[in-house]
Amino acid sequence: MKKFIYEMELVSAEVIKKDSFDIFLLAGGSDYRAYEILRIMKSEDVSINKILLFAFQERIQGIDTSDAYYNYLKIGFSNILPIHCSIKEPNSCLDGLISLESEILTAKKIALDISCFTKPFFFYLIKLFKERFKIHRITVFYTEPQSYLFPRGIFSSYRSSTGPLTILEIPGFTGYEARGDKRVLVILLGFDGDLSKEINEDISPSETLVVNGFPSYAPKFKDISLIANEKLTSDKDVQIIFSKANNPFDVFNLLESIKNKKHNDRPFINIAPLGTKPMALGVCLFALYYPEVRVVYPLPETYEKITTDNCWNSWRYLIPLNELR
Amino acid sequence: MNDSYRNPFSGINAGTLDDQAILDYWCSPFAYRLFSEIKETDIYEDPNNIVLLGGRSTGKTMFLRYWSFPVQLKLANQNKDSKSRKIIDYFKEKKGLGFYIRIDGPILRSFNGSGIDSAKWNSIFTHYFELIVGRNYIEAIKKFYESDELNMVEVENHFIPEVKTILNAPQIVSLDELLKEFDSRIKEVDLFRGNVPFFKTDFIPSKGGFASQSLSFGIPKIAKKTISEFKESINFILLIDEYENYLEPQQRVINTLLRFSKNEIRFRIGMRLEGFRTFNMISEDDFIKEGREYRKAVFEDVLIKSKEYHNFLKEVSKKRLESVKIFKEKGKSDITEFLSKSEDLEKEALELVAKNPEKHFSHFKKSLKDSDIDAIKFKENPLLELLNILWVLRGIPANEVKAAMEDYLKGNTTGEKVKKYHMDYVDKYKLSLMFLLCSIYRKHKKYYSFNTFSFLSSGIVGNFIELCRRAFQYAEFENKDLLIKEWKIPKEQQTKAALDFSEAELQQINRIESYGGFIHKFINNIGNIFRDFHKDDKIRYPETNQFSTDIDNLTDQKFTDAMRAAIKWSVVQKKPTIQQPSPGKHLKDIYTINRIYSPSFQISYRTRGGYSVKLTASDIVKLMTEENVSSKNYLKQISDESENPNTSLNLFDYI
Repeated sequence: MKKFIYEMELVSAEVIKKDSFDIFLLAGGSDYRAYEILRIMKSEDVSINKILLFAFQERIQGIDTSDAYYNYLKIGFSNILPIHCSIKEPNSCLDGLISLESEILTAKKIALDISCFTKPFFFYLIKLFKERFKIHRITVFYTEPQSYLFPRGIFSSYRSSTGPLTILEIPGFTGYEARGDKRVLVILLGFDGDLSKEINEDISPSETLVVNGFPSYAPKFKDISLIANEKLTSDKDVQIIFSKANNPFDVFNLLESIKNKKHNDRPFINIAPLGTKPMALGVCLFALYYPEVRVVYPLPETYEKITTDNCWNSWRYLIPLNELR
Repeated sequence: MNDSYRNPFSGINAGTLDDQAILDYWCSPFAYRLFSEIKETDIYEDPNNIVLLGGRSTGKTMFLRYWSFPVQLKLANQNKDSKSRKIIDYFKEKKGLGFYIRIDGPILRSFNGSGIDSAKWNSIFTHYFELIVGRNYIEAIKKFYESDELNMVEVENHFIPEVKTILNAPQIVSLDELLKEFDSRIKEVDLFRGNVPFFKTDFIPSKGGFASQSLSFGIPKIAKKTISEFKESINFILLIDEYENYLEPQQRVINTLLRFSKNEIRFRIGMRLEGFRTFNMISEDDFIKEGREYRKAVFEDVLIKSKEYHNFLKEVSKKRLESVKIFKEKGKSDITEFLSKSEDLEKEALELVAKNPEKHFSHFKKSLKDSDIDAIKFKENPLLELLNILWVLRGIPANEVKAAMEDYLKGNTTGEKVKKYHMDYVDKYKLSLMFLLCSIYRKHKKYYSFNTFSFLSSGIVGNFIELCRRAFQYAEFENKDLLIKEWKIPKEQQTKAALDFSEAELQQINRIESYGGFIHKFINNIGNIFRDFHKDDKIRYPETNQFSTDIDNLTDQKFTDAMRAAIKWSVVQKKPTIQQPSPGKHLKDIYTINRIYSPSFQISYRTRGGYSVKLTASDIVKLMTEENVSSKNYLKQISDESENPNTSLNLFDYI
């Protein structure tokens, strides 16, 4: 990874029309941005051999075909194969993917749109592609929302999830702790202040660092996240640092610098990617490069069906899985 | 000067404090006689296992960590009075070594799923747990050994060879290597947990797996046999924290250890109330029982009967205030100086009515004659005016009410009327009158003072610390000079802190791992019912904020489980003694909602006893499943039960 000069581009018709993919993976969802990349690809006539749509039972329950979830049917691709699975169990998709193993192994170009995947799920998929299918390189797409939904004012009412929370290790990202060492927790801040507090208590680190997305998608977002997480950030021992909200490679470098700085203490590093998905992608790459690092995440009972509004920029990131050890 | 200030109440999680900070912030609960069930010497000496029960932030982690080896070692070093005295003698005097075991929730939850059956996960967890405990023992023994506290020959020629035999690791010759061996075996489990979601493979430990007890009981046995310093008088105490996070099969593994614990190995287990997921053991037909395998000590006493709890909170605050340079330098370590000792209700009432001092009279105008109003007015104290109204509404002539008030104000205590007047005002209704006054003026009650914060904390030390943290946060933000020059936090800022925290805690209920939705609805509904009791113009049941029910007889097990989860998370608190829900009624369990929710519902922060709202099984279901349940039926209970002929059968009928 260190030798690799990263590639990230703003998606435009000019950029995307040169693409073609053997396999394209995306998550079904009711958010407006769920199928934005697919729409652009269709409009630019990008060739895709097979589209794997991850159909989460939790998102399909209780909706009918008029729901925005089914908008993918109107885009015009006919080669869409649903992979039935559950948000709560990322490896529930394993059997579906193993049945396509030969196609995956021979695919030269694989793309993953993370816009509507939950973070644990796309972490799982990326590791699965790297470790089990030995894929060397994937293209990751992400569409930024124009705004997030704040039902009762912007500073404390954003909820990406509802109901009870369980703090879990992301499957496959358990890390390994040298006993007796210091525990460091790095939290990439999101807007949902309950989550960071809960994770900090559950992990009980000797040191907590919080990373705020800056520059953020919109100027106010960086302030909202700090205020929403006031209980954690006001603690005297918590350090706040910044990293670009849409750049996974920036996050990777930041995490690496933290790791290097703390090298002498040999801490057990725990990371909670609660911020943007590109930032979480950076965490995923970092944890694949340094498998001793643990990634933790709060799994709610239910996710909100819609948390964002409209689309903003879309990004394309080239991920060299073979460089991640 | 500003640089020497930081919020003294930030950083409240004992799990994140280092060993020295545990010692610095330690306040002995024994010194304040907070527990009647255990005494200090029991920690290391009592042959029974002890389960420490309490809600979040009640100080269980602080307590368990204090008795752990690394913290006690620091203490022993600090207190070492002569060079000739060995550190191990300190532990011999204490009669024990404590080993703090905390396996965090995410790790425990990872021993599950991925296509591996429960029995296999159980074996893997047992293997892991044995390694974690075993490593703890070796680390402590290594510390003694490196400090020349132990006989080298005994350790090298007897202890290590016996342990390496159990480990099946013949190459090991030192304690360092033993530790590395433990680390490598633990890593083997961690790597398996990381890979199993992708490959669904079986766990095959490279040098064999460990069965229950093999290391957790095996190593102390070897230590006692081979090392003379351990032979007598030192017990091995396993201090297991956050037991409620252990999955049911994992609790069965530990429960089995409780049953078979030996004389030299005792368990001290910290958990939430209702934290046992099961009492079963590995063998399906066997179970553990209180009084046989363990006894319990409760860390969370909702009634806070003694003043000692308040003194304990003062001591906790003192240590935190003294950790901030500016407060230490100026000798400002008494929290009551910042918050004030207790509320001044008369002053609060005067401030409340300042803009419209007769609104409470106009509120009752249909039931009062003008001449009566003139007689019972006393503008210096609106609470007395409201009490006077109450007396007149109860049929006492206005001139007699006036006379009683005047006698009371003069300090005259002779005569039945004035005695009753004094009792009604001072002992019975004062706070209720304040709540009613707030309701009439449609203003929020203020929650401030050390006394109020102590009550709001509901016996949970962490709640008190968080209330203070928020109050200091507001004070720093809004008027730092007042805070660091006059050492005061205005009641408005304290109230904001209480309201914020109350709202945040209320919102958190939804996040409770199991039944969060049911519990959230229940608290919202019952809180609103209590609120309506506080708005009763005749204050027939003052400060009603408790309910009685029989949670074991609910129609559906899930509602019983939900109520138990509410207790586990200290959302609902069971009163420790059985009492009558109302005079003359059958005995039932009485519950309160955690007082931290009081500001959200604008209800009293005290629990006086007296009346309890009776909830049937169907009431519980309704309150847990429906939004905005009307309080009408519950208020009707008090109308129907009222034996006072002067009390109207309908609430608010005279308005």
